Parts: sequence; C-alpha cells; structure tokens
Amino acid sequence: MNKIANFFKHPKIFVITIIWMMVLVVLGTIEQKHFGLFAVQERYFSSWVIWFSLFPMPGGRLTLIIMLINLSFFFFNKSIWKLKKLGIVVLHFGGILLLVGGGLTAMFSSEGNMVIEEGDKSNHIEDYHYMELAIINTSAVDFDEFTIFDQPLLIKNNILTHENLNFEIEILNYLENCELDKRTSSPAIQYKGMLKNFMLKELKPEKEDNWNRPGIIYKISNSGTSTDGMYGIFLGQPVVQTISVNDNNYTIVLRRKRTYLPFSIGLIDFKKILHPGTDIPKSYSSDIILTENRAVRKILIQMNKPLRHKGYTFFQSSFIEGPDGETTVLAVVKNYGRLFPYISSIIMCVGLLFHMFQKLPGLFRKSREKIAV
Amino acid sequence: MKFYSLIFLFILSICAILLPRDFDHRDIPIHENGRIKPLDTFVKNQLLLIYGKRSIKQNALPGELNSEGLSALDWFFDIALHPDEGDKYRIFNISNPEVVASLGLDWDPEHLYNQTEVLTGLKNQIHYITTIQRKPEAELTQFDTQMLKVYSNAIQYQTLSYSLSCLLPSIQIHNETIAQSLSVNPGDKLSYYQLMRKANKLSPLMERLINRDKNKWSESDYELQHVMGVLNEIDQDKFARILKIIPSESGKQNEEWQSPWELMESRMIGPNQEKLLLTLESFLKFRIDNDSIKSDSLLAEYEKLLSLQFKGLINLDNVKLETWKNKANLFYKSIAFYILAFLLLVISWMTTPRLLRRISFACLLGGLTFHFYGILLRIIIMQRPPVSTLYESIIFVGLIGVICASLLEYNRKDGMGIFIGAIVGGVLHFVGLGYANDGDTLGMLVAVLNSNFWLATHVTTITIGYGASLFAGLLGHIYLLQLIRIPFDKKYLNTVNANLFGATLFALFFTLFGTILGGIWADQSWGRFWGWDPKENGALLIVMWQIMMLHLRITGLVKPMGFALGMVLNNIVVILAWFGVNLLNVGLHSYGFAAGIAINISLFTIFELITGFGSYFWAKNRQKQLTAY
Repeated sequence: MNKIANFFKHPKIFVITIIWMMVLVVLGTIEQKHFGLFAVQERYFSSWVIWFSLFPMPGGRLTLIIMLINLSFFFFNKSIWKLKKLGIVVLHFGGILLLVGGGLTAMFSSEGNMVIEEGDKSNHIEDYHYMELAIINTSAVDFDEFTIFDQPLLIKNNILTHENLNFEIEILNYLENCELDKRTSSPAIQYKGMLKNFMLKELKPEKEDNWNRPGIIYKISNSGTSTDGMYGIFLGQPVVQTISVNDNNYTIVLRRKRTYLPFSIGLIDFKKILHPGTDIPKSYSSDIILTENRAVRKILIQMNKPLRHKGYTFFQSSFIEGPDGETTVLAVVKNYGRLFPYISSIIMCVGLLFHMFQKLPGLFRKSREKIAV
Repeated sequence: MKFYSLIFLFILSICAILLPRDFDHRDIPIHENGRIKPLDTFVKNQLLLIYGKRSIKQNALPGELNSEGLSALDWFFDIALHPDEGDKYRIFNISNPEVVASLGLDWDPEHLYNQTEVLTGLKNQIHYITTIQRKPEAELTQFDTQMLKVYSNAIQYQTLSYSLSCLLPSIQIHNETIAQSLSVNPGDKLSYYQLMRKANKLSPLMERLINRDKNKWSESDYELQHVMGVLNEIDQDKFARILKIIPSESGKQNEEWQSPWELMESRMIGPNQEKLLLTLESFLKFRIDNDSIKSDSLLAEYEKLLSLQFKGLINLDNVKLETWKNKANLFYKSIAFYILAFLLLVISWMTTPRLLRRISFACLLGGLTFHFYGILLRIIIMQRPPVSTLYESIIFVGLIGVICASLLEYNRKDGMGIFIGAIVGGVLHFVGLGYANDGDTLGMLVAVLNSNFWLATHVTTITIGYGASLFAGLLGHIYLLQLIRIPFDKKYLNTVNANLFGATLFALFFTLFGTILGGIWADQSWGRFWGWDPKENGALLIVMWQIMMLHLRITGLVKPMGFALGMVLNNIVVILAWFGVNLLNVGLHSYGFAAGIAINISLFTIFELITGFGSYFWAKNRQKQLTAY
C-alpha cells in the first residue's frame, strides 16, 4: 500500500502533468484560429486520448484525472500534517475541489439556447451542437405523436425503425454542412419531396460548428405505398416535409436537439440600449414572463443579471432584429458543479494567504542582513 | 521614511491647489463616442488623427506667424473662425512618397502639407478614390489605404472647419432698407443663425423681389439677392455635424447631443438650447474681434447656463478635471522621474552610494506619485475601475510593478528596487504612449464589460498579477546577473533568491485568484465557468507556469539558478497571455489592437530567451570554474 502511495504522490507526476497540460493549452489555443472552439475543445480538452498521427497521447480529461489522483495522494505525506504547513494543505484541498468541480461540470452540465420572438413563448432548450430527427404523427385531432431519433443514430447506412412508425427510414447520407442547389436535369423517379427540384450539395464544415447547416438524405421503405422513395431534409427547412402512409400523416423535421423544461418563458419585450451617438451597446435586456403550473411571474433578464430557476440559469446571450420585431436569444445552462469554483477559490485563497503571511515576511526580512552591493 | 512621505504629501497638495479654476473655452463640453468630454480632448484627438501629434509644432506654421507652436484648440478656432489663415497651416501628415506624388505635391522632408494643397491633389484623384472606396478592405493595397486615409482626413478637416459656420458673423448688411426691416444697423454683420431667426421679417421684401421685373430692381433688391446667395452658400456647410456641443432639451441621459448645424436643420430648437446657441454666437463674435474680456464673460454665462439648465446631464467639474489632466501630462512627468531615478542610481554606484541612492529613491516615489495620480484622475473622470482597456492595463501593470519595486527597495535599501522600478515603470509608460497615440484613451465599454463590480475585482486582480509577475521576472534577471558578477557571495545571493521566491508567491496569489474570479464572472454573465477562450487559456498558462516553477523549486528538482531562469521565461508567458492572444483574433476577449504587435512580441521573446539562457549558462560556467579551483 505504502509503495503505491509513494508512487502516486510523487511530485514529479504533478510536474509532468502540468507541463503536458500547458502543451495542450497552447496547442488548443493556437488551433482555435483554424478549427474553431468546439472542435478544439473536443480534441484537446474533453478527450481521453489524442492521436498525433499515429502516436496516442493523453487528452485533457485524462491528464487532469491523473493530476487529481496525484493531488489526492499528497495527503498521504506524513510531513505535511504540521501547523507550519496548514496553509499548504488547505491550498491543495482547494485545488482538488476545483478539479472535482470541473469534472462534474464536464460530465453533467448541459447547455443550449432558448430563442423567443417578442410576444411568443417557449418551453424548450435547443442544443448548440447536436441535431435530432423528429417524426411527428399529426393524424389525431387532439394530440400529436412525436418520435425522435437522436444524433448518434443519424449516421450513414443506419436504418431507423420504431413501433410508432409503419415504415423504415434509412439514412443514405448525413451531411455536416450543406446548401441547396437547383436541379437542372429532370430528376430520377425515386426522388420525392424537395429532392424533385433541388439537390443537397455537401459543403466543407465551417470553422465554428454552429454555423453549419446539416442535412440528411434518407430513404423511406416498407411503407407499402407510393410514399417509398428518396428524400432530403436540412436544418431550418422553410417548407417542412410531410408524408402520408395508410391514413397517417407525418411531418419530418431535422432540428437542434431539444430539452423540454417544466415551465415556459414568454418574451414581452427585448431592449437594446446604445451609448448615445455610437454603435457601442450599453445594455441588452429581455422582459419575460415565466409560467409554471399556471403561476405567472414577470422577470427582467439583463446582461450580467441572469435568471436562475429550478437549477437552470438563463443568460441574455444574443438577439435577432427582424422586420416584425425582435427575437431574444437566451443561453440556458444547467450545471451541477456550479458552486465548486466559488467554494474552492475561497478555500484556496484562505490557504495561500495563510501561507504567505507565514512566509513572506521572512522571505523579505532576510534581505536586511545584507545591505551594500 | 518620514522624508519620503513628506515629499509624497507635498506633491499631492500641489496637485490639489492646481485644480479649482475658472471655466474656459477648453472646457466646453462635447458629446462624442458616447461620452461627454471637454472640447480640448476632442480637438486634440482630431489633430492627432490628421497631424499625428496633439499640438502643432513651429515647423508646421507659416513663417510670418512667428509663433512657437499652437495648441489643438487654438488650431481649431483658427480653422473654424479664420479659415483663410488656418488653411495655411501644414498639418496634413503624409509620409508615403507614392501618395505625395500622386496628389501632385512636392516632396517635403517633414511630410507636412496644408489643406489647400491636399484638396487640390485629391480633386485630381477623385475618380480613383471613388473606385477604391467600393473595393473590399482585403483587396486594398497599402497605397490605397493611405490614400483613403488622406481623403477621410481631408473630409474630417472640412467638417471641423465648417462646424461653427452657421454661428459666425459672415453676412454683412449694407442697405438701409434691409437693415431696417431686420432691425439692425447698416454695416452690421449677421450670422446665418441670426438671419434665419429673422427670416420672416425679410419675407415681404422677398416677395417684392420675386414679383418685380429684374430691370426695375433697386439697390436693396440686389443686396437682398446677394444676401440670399451668401445664405445659400453657408447652407452648403450643413454636413458639418461633428461638433455635438448642445445637450438635448429634454435633459435625458441617454439622448444624443446635437451640433449647431443639426439644430439649424431640424429647426426644433428648445428654449434652453437657444440660449446656449446665442451665447456661443456672441462668444465667437467677440473671439473673432479679439475682445477677450467680453468673450470670457460670455463663457462664464455659458457655464452658468449649462450648470443650471442642464443640471444632472453634465458634471462640469469632471470635464474641467479632464482638461487639466490633458494639460498636466502626468504620465510624461512620471516617465521623467523614473528616468531621473535610474540615472541617479547609476551615478550612485560610481560615487556616493548612500545619499544619491536616497535621492534616486525619492525620484522613483515622485514618479510613482504622478503615475498614481494620473490613474486616479482617470478613475474619477470615467467613474469606473482603473483597468478596462488594453491601454489602461499597460499603465496599471506599470504602477503595480513600481509599487512592488518600491516595497523591495524599502526593505533592502540597496538600489535593487529602484533599478527594477525605474525599468518597469519607464518601459511600460513608453509602451502605453504608443497605444495612447491611437486616439481617445477614455472609450466607452460594451455591455458585458459594463460592470463596475467585476472590472474592479477580476480585471484589477489579474493585472496586479501581471505586474507582480513582471516584477518577479526582473528579479530573476537580477539574480542571474549577480550570480555572474559575484558568484562567491552566497549570503547576498540567498537574499535575492528569497525575494524572488516571495515575489513569485505574491504573483501567483493574484494571477490565480484573478483567473478564478474571471471564471466566476464568466459563470455569472455567460453561464460557464471556463470556456477555453484564448485569453482564459493565457491566464491559465501563467498560473500553471508559476505553479510548476514553485513545485520544481520546493521539491528540489531545480536549483535557485533554474528557478530564476524559469521566472525570467515567465515574462514571455505573461506577455503572450497579455498581448499575444489578441493576435489570434478569436474569442471573447480580443479587445486589443493587434497590428504591429506581433513584431514587438517576437522581439521581446527573443530578447528574454537570449538574456535568460545566456546569463543562465554563463553563470553555470562561472560556478564550474569556481568549484574547479
């Protein structure tokens, strides 16, 4: 046991991991210029292993976990349990808490956007990066039946089936970024819907992941009707695809992955104030109403003044100015590790201050013994 | 120490005595870029844009003027009130020989040209200019950008020089009939604004003029036609709307102020605005007549109007304070003191160490006082914490460096603190001056930065961290140098090493908590504690570097010499995090101005690498030699 502890607590491990972490941070910062934040984050910071062509190296997540283990074994040092080292012990404890909080955030936090037009309301968050394919059965009079396929299922050659659906969908191609191209020649017989007049042309993915317009080319089969055929769909399609199979009507939408909330938010008014005579914004704010179980509250969300409710936090993030009025974009975050940085920074602050007050006078007093150069 | 604190108090009290003073023409408040500032600041920045300096040197003025130079404000009044004279000043600074040649100008070794020359040149090139104006920025050559800059400067100049033309007495009435109907004396000069106010009195005469056959026109008809012509001519100046000096009648904070020409155009002049315009009109009249007594009394009235009728809109004391700050040039004085401190210190090494070192320390503290006072004034004027732009961070980091160095000197009393302080303060002041030449250094902040609480905590803490880190880096340099100079004096070296270790701890405290506080701000404003944004990563790198060096040192993996080298290299990390990330042009923090920085950063990096490693290996070599004996 002692041997293992001795190995894990070795300060060399800490030095090596921190140096490797610095390398990752440098690479991850410089590469942002070319690959955008999301891609870089996935490659360097949220990864377990990074492949530098053929060489596997530990990714940010693995490196930080090794650092965390090393730090935890620090407390097995007998020599640190003295009053003189109290500050150091407290400081390292704070450091561990900070890393743990970071881990919790990385594993369990979720974030997205809530986009609301003036006069409208919304009860769901849209993910920044992931899509979903929603198939909505609109045949019933008083309800719609939703069947949702998540992003991991939307890969080439995957066949989507579900008991709700009396047909199969085969993903023929998933395009990360695409644009519409008008068909010049007459379409082949199997093309249906939008594909009769247009083609989906694949584009190079944008630097920032959320500038992409993903699209899917899919095939409907086994419906036993003339609905069978090849279809295309893309994010933000203005005319939605509807099909009907045996008296059932379906709407098919590719949209950003949604998370529904137990309450809804309506936008009364969005305000943007500029510093007079300039284009520099002074403040943004959204006047909203929060409705939950028929209880209605009026709230103002401002830059630097978010709304916190039921573990979710709503921030004024952006806005869209349109001809019919304004649309607010709220960033929504649910983060279980939120309080860790607050607590750990206080602990570390206390520890470091304690240590400095113990040490600093000595470090500077010594110098008085020697005066002339 | 009493001696030093006395000096400090003395300088502070002098500054306090200088402050209360009368309102003068420099203090006329103007609204520009979202901020109310004195006219003095405004015209200084305009002149800086066109001429490259904040006041005019003798060589730009015509010889017959016999003047030793001209302040920006006098220049402005010259071009606005006496354009015939003012247009002769050679204030267009064009250094590109290609541009000079294509404007048909003769090459001037001082790169200076006057308005008339430049305008003629531009008129000949107007076709080319309109073509390149339509091009996207990326396709422009250096020549094109410079040409466009000259063009926009010329327009800016025109706008400035016509901005008051509606208030100038430029229409002379000779004819008695017209004078009578306007109730003025024949021979009086009226301004556009005056004439417009009395326009209805002229309408019967105008009607007669229109209905009468031209052959039967009387003398007064001809004069009326002439007056109308002049009026029309002045009316062409209405594009000159840059001088927004009249507050909105409503007195609301968020409403834009208006320029005289905008008011002329809108014809919606409130009673208080009218009073201001009338006072300004008479002030300009007396200024043209060089009647300083009357113009001064009108300025006093102007001040009274502003402070009574537009109460709550303007803090005139702050405006005056800014004018004073412009004139005082506190940072220049601070530089002078730092340089003096450095020189005295060097001399003290050669001659009488004790006395000269004390005087030198006093100079450093004097420089520090000016430095501190300059920053304090900016805080008072802008009503916000000291650091919110890159420029301010440079000045503030300098201040922190000098404070750290002064504390070190107070403890050691051997000149080391003076040495470090003078270098940190002086060099950063020079870097700051480079940034100040981009224009107004007191800009408004975008919404997310507009939070005094977080600016005061996160930004101030992290910049203190930068300052302390640079201080530690310089201590590292000194340790390595002394290791070469006096390798056998172990006791002395140990004290320096202890100081270095302490400074690193001190720096780490501020960089670490500055970074964490930044995360907390981000959590409060954007909902995430950490986003791997370049600036965040930069700050993280400094923290990690310092943590690494401390662990290497504590565990004995590196010796004091290696630790000193590590802290020297920390300077590079600090500079890259501070300025370098702006070069990437991505992320939420890229607020700085990047062009031209790349070269300076590389030069600094190379310098630190060479001096750091050079002195490290030299010192190592010396130690080997010593142990060999």
